[in-house]
Amino acid sequence: MDEAKTAANTHVPSSSFAKEIEAEPGGEDIAKCIQCGMCTASCMVASVTDKYRPRKLIQMILLGLREEVLSSDLPWLCMTCRMCEERCQEDVNLAEIFHAVREIAAREGHIPPAFKNAIDVVLKDGWMLEDAYSDFIEDDRDDLGLDTELSWNKKFVAKLKKKYFKGESTK
Amino acid sequence: MKEFALYAGCTTPVRLPAYEASVTKVLEKLGVKLIPMKDVNCCGAQYIESVSHTAFAAMSGRILAIAESMGRDILAICGACSGSLKIVKHELDNDEKLRAEVNALLEDEGLKYTGTVEVKHLLQVFREDIGYDAIKAAIVKPYNGVRLAAHYGCHVLRPPEIVHVDDPENPTIIDRIVEIAGGVAVDYTGKTRCCGGPMLGIDEELAGKIGTDKIDNIRAANVDGIITACGFCDIQLTQVQFGDGTEGKERIPVLQLTQFLGTALGIDAEALGISLNKISPEHILAMQ
Ligand code: SF4
Ligand code: SF4
Ligand code: SF4
Repeated sequence: MDEAKTAANTHVPSSSFAKEIEAEPGGEDIAKCIQCGMCTASCMVASVTDKYRPRKLIQMILLGLREEVLSSDLPWLCMTCRMCEERCQEDVNLAEIFHAVREIAAREGHIPPAFKNAIDVVLKDGWMLEDAYSDFIEDDRDDLGLDTELSWNKKFVAKLKKKYFKGESTK
Repeated sequence: MKEFALYAGCTTPVRLPAYEASVTKVLEKLGVKLIPMKDVNCCGAQYIESVSHTAFAAMSGRILAIAESMGRDILAICGACSGSLKIVKHELDNDEKLRAEVNALLEDEGLKYTGTVEVKHLLQVFREDIGYDAIKAAIVKPYNGVRLAAHYGCHVLRPPEIVHVDDPENPTIIDRIVEIAGGVAVDYTGKTRCCGGPMLGIDEELAGKIGTDKIDNIRAANVDGIITACGFCDIQLTQVQFGDGTEGKERIPVLQLTQFLGTALGIDAEALGISLNKISPEHILAMQ
């Protein structure tokens, strides 16, 4: 908190958390943000819910509110639609920055349940929809002249799971 | 005949097989043959991408490497998949360390990423490989002034410096094809805004609100239907029209670009899976 205060008082938006984000792939450009708010103005998520404000999230990072940002679900609400990036005059890659935040949050055990479930499914089956692929859909595919054998590879994700997800995201 | 390796993704084959079928049939009619990729995995978009960038690069990297082993460029028909594959290709081409790490994971399968294949979204194949003139020449059953709103999809268009599909603020490929087939391409507020699809797995209520906003803007433009070029967008724009608060409102049919174009090329509606569409586009087809 002290760090946040100092940063705010001196108007130097460069906390150690901002530096940490800068060091992650995708987080490099965060210090370029001038807090103009164009991102929030162009964001559809912000337009449908008051709780989500991309400019403010960037500000929280710049101010060094590390725990608050990492334990929040907000960085996970970004749809990576990149409308804000298209409009940002400073070339800040918000979607990439939020990915960098998520990656750090995940390393520290903060993954929202919806993400955790989807990640577990992909790492188990190799794809998203094995359980949804019913006989009924198989018939539709057959009628359309498409292959009914979807042949997804499971071995590769098992290897990735062992190497990159040592227990933290899996049950 | 030009050939592509088809990466259909997770969502389309299960939730929207008609899209996969219509893409295959329309492209074949226009001289492009698709070879479905086998033994692939999810591209890793959104979920794996959020928690381990390296694992994400490995998942999309493996798909790229399989296409290399087939000696074919990739056609991706889902916005998320085409976006992931293009972003990862860009990274692997520019980051030697990442490429080495991914290749080490692929080695025991005899796969290797060297950067020889291109990734194209469906819209690029129409513009670059087939061309508007050839599409025009193949129309046998044109539409008569049907009014259509194009939804391009965020991941299809952005980031433009990597995906190279169309102008991100003023895209035109779908609109041009609509006009070539005899329709009227109708502009509307927020054309390049997201449909809310990526929010579905996280917060359905917010996803619904974002999609509904899109539908309301389209409705205000007084159109006969919506044309998409991404399985995910199609599903989202359809299902928000069945959610809370939609009772009594007229539903706007969502057609995949390839279904719309396919009938104009003389392909049977049944073969394009049009009877599987949840909102019947009958009045659109009647305008032919
Ligand atoms: S639009 Fe860019 S510069 Fe402006 S607040 Fe957002 S990220 Fe910062
Ligand atoms: S990329 Fe994220 S923050 Fe930016 S407009 Fe889209 S949802 Fe909003
Ligand atoms: S992006 Fe979506 S559809 Fe494409 S492979 Fe990944 S989960 Fe499947």
